[in-house]
Amino acid sequence: MKNTSPLLLVVEDDPQFRSLLTTTLENQNYSVVAMSTGRDGLVEVRSQRPNLLILDLGLPDIDGQTLICRLRTWTDLPIIVLSARNQESDITLALDNGADDYLTKPFNTAELLSRIRALLRRTAKLPNAIQEIFQVDNLKVDLTKRQVFVAEKEIHLTPIEFNLLSILVRNAGFVVTHRQLLEKIWGASYVEHSHYLRIYMRQLRQKLEIDCARPRYLLTEAGIGYRLYDGEN
Amino acid sequence: MKIPWNIFFHLLLSLLVPLALTLVAWFFRDILIPSNVLLIYLLGVFFVAIQFGLFSSVLASLISAAAFAFFFAPPIFSLKIADFDNLMGLVIMLIVGTVTSKLTENLRVKSKLIENKERKASALYGLSKALAESRSEKEIIHVAVHHIYAEFKSLNTFLFPDRQRLVHYPDESPLNISLQTVDLNVANWVFQHGQMAGKDTDNLPNESCVYIPLNCSLGTIGVLAMNPIELIEEQQQFLETFVTQIIHALERAKLAEQAKEATLKMQTEALRNSLLSSISHDLRTPLATIIGAATTLETDAERLTENNRKKLANAIAEEAQRISDLTTKILEMAKLETGEVVLNKEWYAPEEIIGSALRCLDKKLKYRQINLHIAQDLALIHVDAVLLQQVIVNLLDNADKYSPVEQPIDIFVEPNTSNLTISIADRGLGISENLLEKIFDKFFQIHTESAQSGVGLGLSICRAIVEAHGGEIHALLREGGGLEMKFNLPVLEKPPVMDLEENGLTL
Repeated sequence: MKNTSPLLLVVEDDPQFRSLLTTTLENQNYSVVAMSTGRDGLVEVRSQRPNLLILDLGLPDIDGQTLICRLRTWTDLPIIVLSARNQESDITLALDNGADDYLTKPFNTAELLSRIRALLRRTAKLPNAIQEIFQVDNLKVDLTKRQVFVAEKEIHLTPIEFNLLSILVRNAGFVVTHRQLLEKIWGASYVEHSHYLRIYMRQLRQKLEIDCARPRYLLTEAGIGYRLYDGEN
Repeated sequence: MKIPWNIFFHLLLSLLVPLALTLVAWFFRDILIPSNVLLIYLLGVFFVAIQFGLFSSVLASLISAAAFAFFFAPPIFSLKIADFDNLMGLVIMLIVGTVTSKLTENLRVKSKLIENKERKASALYGLSKALAESRSEKEIIHVAVHHIYAEFKSLNTFLFPDRQRLVHYPDESPLNISLQTVDLNVANWVFQHGQMAGKDTDNLPNESCVYIPLNCSLGTIGVLAMNPIELIEEQQQFLETFVTQIIHALERAKLAEQAKEATLKMQTEALRNSLLSSISHDLRTPLATIIGAATTLETDAERLTENNRKKLANAIAEEAQRISDLTTKILEMAKLETGEVVLNKEWYAPEEIIGSALRCLDKKLKYRQINLHIAQDLALIHVDAVLLQQVIVNLLDNADKYSPVEQPIDIFVEPNTSNLTISIADRGLGISENLLEKIFDKFFQIHTESAQSGVGLGLSICRAIVEAHGGEIHALLREGGGLEMKFNLPVLEKPPVMDLEENGLTL
């Protein structure tokens, strides 16, 4: 056990919601700094060096997207964005800009806590990134040997299928946007060709899932991207 | 040029008729006494009077008199008349001929007037009938232009104002009898002053056209421009009557339009009211629970058992979720209604959207059997996945709400030649047949005030989304009981081609 609890920075302009987040997070033994404006948030990121940032996209002073872009020029600080419902385009943009995860308001605090834990876990893992074997339920992916098993049976994937799967594995539990996937697999000029992604995702599901319409591992986030199930809910 | 020829022809006939009668009477001269011959001439004079008028008939009677004196009254072949009776007969024939000619002439003029009136009446009747049958301003103008041309042989056009109160040509392409040489400046002057202008009027008499303002109780609503016509006063009046009819028709159309707008406004108002009452009911009920539970927790927390505290907290969470769902639906409907929603279409695999919809309802459908009937390798569809997922979630949610939990829900996805049909079918009680379409109405609820009820927007949202995609959605009663919600999405374009990896190339 570390003797210092992780420091979380909350940037949220609504006072009630800010106080709710602070109370909930402190109750979970996190240290919390809460700010109401993007400017103050930026200052706190520099001075306090928090372990994670919870950022509301609708801030009064700086646009949340701009803030993410600015932060990403110099830090890998994990960011969870909060957004109002039915704004998939905002969420996608935030993720493309470098946010790590998102939640739509209103959400359940248990959900928030699980996302925070997952993100902190991932950050902690990063330095010793030798963990090249991913396993969840019956799915096992060996990134170094480029092998995939479902229920101990090896599955043959095409290079692109494996590429797609490995990106999701490296971000297991987190959503990867369509754009990020297209760019990483086919290159920047293919970011509008979402049908490539659909076809390969279908093939991958046909090989890995029992029922393609009810995928267990390769989950769809409608209008945003894909998320690989990592055992956490 | 025409008129002198006409007169010449009339005069020629007024000569020929008595001469022809002379020939006939000469032929029967042995059996006819001279006074009978006079009667035959009289007949001819009448004929000419009826056909050609006073002047011709007087001429005809004079010629008849001369012919009678020359051929029939002894001494024959001389203009002298020996017999006094014959002379008297001749004089009487002249008098009778002249008087009857005069009378016939009067009758002729009168009948001509009547005929003219009748023609005008029938023209007016034709116009007003056609106007009454016209349903829109456009049709009225069409009728008016045609009738004015038919009656007055004048090219014409109607000019109406735009938002800036400036008149301009109609938007639709001109008819071949439309006047296209209008001076819009003059037309605007006429429109603004409500006075006639143009050729032979008090204003701008040098203009080549005539501009008539369309004045009615609503003010000046437009301008009629036409080529000038030779109008005697009577014709002038007739034109005025004509135009008045047209103005009335236009006024009627305008008033009908206004009435329609007012009705629409009233309906919108009624809709807004039902929205407000619906929202206030559906928001207040859960809010009452939330506020009640929260204040109890706030003031009495230490006296509550652990279990009761949990119950209250749970109630708050559940009711808040209800409000959240409700506001989402209302906002979504409002967005769809105002046309603010721009479809963010991309290529998707149909089964993927079904899958993500099912995942949204994961918790709710935990104990429900869902049977999927989805064909393998369906073509990609070009849709807004988020909205389409919403449709499926709403339909599944309804199926879950209104059918017993032990009954399965079936989802069918079937490709057709030109569309993709998706249906979600339950084994619930179904609904009565006359409600199959009504359930898509906004704020329609089968069981009002029931605990199950939402705000009655779910299906209207579904319909709006499906229709935005160019598809249709309907409710059907299912064979063997239950309700089937079926919608289709037209497949308008083929998915783009892509270069796939060679299949043999595996790891």
